[in-house]
Amino acid sequence: MSAAAIEAVGLTKRYKSVTAVDDLSFRVREGAVTGFLGPNGAGKTTTLRMVLGLARPSEGTATIQGRRYVELDEPARTVGANLEVAGAHPGRSGRNHLRALAAMAGLPPSRVDEVLRLVELESAADRRAGKYSLGMRQRLGLAATLLGDPRVLVLDEPANGLDPQGIRWLRDFLRAMAAEGRTVLVSSHVLAEVAQTVDDVVVIHRGRLVQQGPVQSLTAAGTGVLVRTPRPDVLRTALDRAGLTAVEAPDGALVVDGGEAAQVGEIAFAAGVPLHELAPRSTSLEEAFLALTTDAPPEVGP
Amino acid sequence: MSRLIAGELIKVRTTRTALGFAAASLLLVLATVLITILAGHPDTIEDKRSALSFGAAIAIVLLLFGTVGATGEFRHRTLAPAVLIAPDRLRLLLARIAAYVATALAVAATLAVITLVIGIPLLAGEKGPDLATGDYVKVIAGGLLVAGLAVAIGVAFGTLVRNQVFAVIAVLVWVTILEPLVGLIKDRALDYTLGSALTRVAQGGDDRMSLGGAVLVLLAWGVVLLAAAALVDRRRDVD
Repeated sequence: MSAAAIEAVGLTKRYKSVTAVDDLSFRVREGAVTGFLGPNGAGKTTTLRMVLGLARPSEGTATIQGRRYVELDEPARTVGANLEVAGAHPGRSGRNHLRALAAMAGLPPSRVDEVLRLVELESAADRRAGKYSLGMRQRLGLAATLLGDPRVLVLDEPANGLDPQGIRWLRDFLRAMAAEGRTVLVSSHVLAEVAQTVDDVVVIHRGRLVQQGPVQSLTAAGTGVLVRTPRPDVLRTALDRAGLTAVEAPDGALVVDGGEAAQVGEIAFAAGVPLHELAPRSTSLEEAFLALTTDAPPEVGP
Repeated sequence: MSRLIAGELIKVRTTRTALGFAAASLLLVLATVLITILAGHPDTIEDKRSALSFGAAIAIVLLLFGTVGATGEFRHRTLAPAVLIAPDRLRLLLARIAAYVATALAVAATLAVITLVIGIPLLAGEKGPDLATGDYVKVIAGGLLVAGLAVAIGVAFGTLVRNQVFAVIAVLVWVTILEPLVGLIKDRALDYTLGSALTRVAQGGDDRMSLGGAVLVLLAWGVVLLAAAALVDRRRDVD
């Protein structure tokens, strides 16, 4: 197993009677782009705040490169984090916001110009942050994360409020960061925003881990076989005897959970059931994500 | 620590808040000096020192400057980026206080020069004894001391309270209403109130308490508020 750039063990955060994060453990691989996914209110931001030392866990620990955030010698040079949209005073220009942060981190003022160029915000750098569009504020936040040229990036919902061009820019940005070998943990409540970019996913729901692994693992559990027959009852009984579960879709097709198309075909042949359609079925990422993060399971469809 | 102070100084300098409070301080000082001398015609040493006491005029303004600056971090949710760079909250708070004190001292030094340039020629035309060099030193030293201490207390109080509107109202109600009520109940207790100590330091002390004693009272206020702010801030989650 490769080294963990970020590791959470038993993270729990309680606010009076509400448990926002519940015994959450996960690992983020070094050099991988990991999507931290879950619906709104799942506990993503609270978790990231605990990882970054901004919130105290009720229980558990979170480490970055083996150390708690508060123990890092030069946090800005180790981790770049963007939890709030820019976090800049509305009356301060983007450039001055970055100048202040750079000074605090002991970085030269020239680094401010470099990161402004990286996020393509040079032309608006001297305008007050309060006048920025949401997309510009997101870019300013990303510029701040890059100031110390860190190897680990933690981005909380960076696609929030971005238009399609902005989302495309963000994807390219994340790809560029990944190509440089950086570790990126990026949270989102919309899988489609990050699905094309991430290597791994950590999916949480109601503060608990529901899935962790390569992005393909989301759909692995949802594979099956779609089959249409004029005699579904007979086929279902035959499949049952073979240890396979079939569910009838609203349009009358049967969805067989697991198994191979060839296996289902042979069972149907042995049972003397004619088939009108037989096809492997894979769940889309979005369906799998919804299935994991919706309290009521979605309707089974073809 | 110097890096954090440099960053906090950039933050103070790059919004209009500091400029606004500096402008308000200037107006108050000009009004105090001109009205006190031209309309009040001071003719005793004490009255003449009081007329030049720019520190008394700006103490509350600088107390509010520190309060607004510290609460502004919470109001505009700008604290997280700084905490991510400097996770030690106490160091960050001390750096913020240092930056605000440096700014307040610069404002106070400028106002001291303006006060003397305007006040000395005007006082020369008034009756009574002239101020000695020691009187000027007390007024200037008191003004600078009160500026630094007032803004530091403001930052500590703002960090403790967080809510900007509540903090500003609390400062005003405390200093202008509640503390004078304390004086009605027990006159001697008034010597240890924040407002009285600010005025007394600004005027270089008086016959009830020396400058050093008044500075100690203000330091006690500052240390208590700073300790409370540091304790609360350390345990608080950052939004």
